[in-house]
Amino acid sequence: MWMKILGSALVTVSCSGLGMWKAEQWKEHRKMLEQIRKMILLLKGEILYAHAPLGEALEHVGRKSEGAPAKLFCQVADRIGQQDGELFYDLWKEAVNSSREELLMTEKECQEFQAFGEHLGYLDLGMQERTIELYLEQLGLSVDFYREHERERIKLCTSLGFMGGLFLSIIMC
Amino acid sequence: MERKDQLIKIFSRTIRDILLKAPVDFEHVQEIRLRVGMPLMLILDNQEYYLTGEGALSAAREEAYIVGRTEIKETIEHISCHSLYAFEEEIRQGFLTIQGGHRIGIAGKVVLDDSGIRTMKYISFLNVRLAHQILGCGDGIMPYLYKNGQVLHTLIISPPRCGKTTLLRDIIRQLSDGARGIKGVAVGVVDERSEIGACYQGEPQNQVGCRTDILDCCPKAKGMMMLIRTMSPAVIAVDEIGSREDLEAMEYVMNCGCKLVATVHGNSVEDIRQKPILRKLVQDRLFERYIVLDGCKEVGHVGGIYDSNMVSLA
Repeated sequence: MWMKILGSALVTVSCSGLGMWKAEQWKEHRKMLEQIRKMILLLKGEILYAHAPLGEALEHVGRKSEGAPAKLFCQVADRIGQQDGELFYDLWKEAVNSSREELLMTEKECQEFQAFGEHLGYLDLGMQERTIELYLEQLGLSVDFYREHERERIKLCTSLGFMGGLFLSIIMC
Repeated sequence: MERKDQLIKIFSRTIRDILLKAPVDFEHVQEIRLRVGMPLMLILDNQEYYLTGEGALSAAREEAYIVGRTEIKETIEHISCHSLYAFEEEIRQGFLTIQGGHRIGIAGKVVLDDSGIRTMKYISFLNVRLAHQILGCGDGIMPYLYKNGQVLHTLIISPPRCGKTTLLRDIIRQLSDGARGIKGVAVGVVDERSEIGACYQGEPQNQVGCRTDILDCCPKAKGMMMLIRTMSPAVIAVDEIGSREDLEAMEYVMNCGCKLVATVHGNSVEDIRQKPILRKLVQDRLFERYIVLDGCKEVGHVGGIYDSNMVSLA
């Protein structure tokens, strides 16, 4: 009997934990997008006001920031510095693809982030500004979506986790 | 080898491979020319060669590798470090300076707006001019540039491609570091076209001396005033003077107790006398030394050195 109670409690607690972990992931995802947005704003400053070339700008922003996006920026800056004959878009796409898991991005977000690199560095400062603005807008929409649904999503995940655990316990008993 | 490795990184992959295979000493290469739909060319020891797809030098045009638009586009992307926007001003001027002090001349379709040249599109012609710094090329001239330990106002007169900038650079270096027992002095350089110091990200790629301050990509007239007010130089050096504003700024510099070393296009002092703006400089005897370069024999050959009264000193 005690074993059954203990088992049910463990299942309920684990499922609740799983729900909480899922809710936390949602939060982390939103934070990650916010950090990328902050870094893109810094990049905009480096490009528009300091007229820094991409390698230099990415390195400066990468060093000022933390986490997976900072690592990605530094990695791309390194590759630019190596001058091994690759085009910027190829370097960028490859780096974004390899860091996708760490960036916690969905398929759509990943595609948008890759597309951001397609026109970066191309033509004049006006073009850079428009490319950055466009991506910031896309990021803004994603961040807003995650923020808007955060409370209900957290509630949903934690409740589902707990209820699911309870349901499993009842079935097992 | 290091020079070659550093330089070929600016080219597209195909051209990079060709240049890697080319059996040439890059110390002797003067120019590499890329033109859309035209042969890849290399100027080596004043001789023009075509480069074949296998990297061999050839005199036959039909064997030459033909440069495509994609290759020019890729090369521009590498030259600008994937950041064309960061070189807008340089593109307007028609050249970029890269690490190592090499200069890339660019030509294509110029886009104009109310303020003048806005940018250049369809860039289809590239001329990679390799920097050749000749340390000590001014050794023979230096004794004429001093009087009682003081530097003299000096004008270098030379036709294009006769080595006036190379000579000016070495004079700057020697004035700055000190030469022949004379102490070095602070030299301010207004490097409007990045030819003297060949600054890359603010750092001079050429040896210009330890007491030299460079205002890079700055208009000469404004730059001279700025240097006088901020860096207190003993000598100011400028390349290729010619406009009325330059003349006014030079007079200001000379009346401030600063010494001036400048270069100008021309074949002789007589040539300068014929030019409406520069005539005044000679008539007023503002310069104390005139160095005339004579490119007929060899690059950098000094045709004559004169004092302010046009008396030949050498």
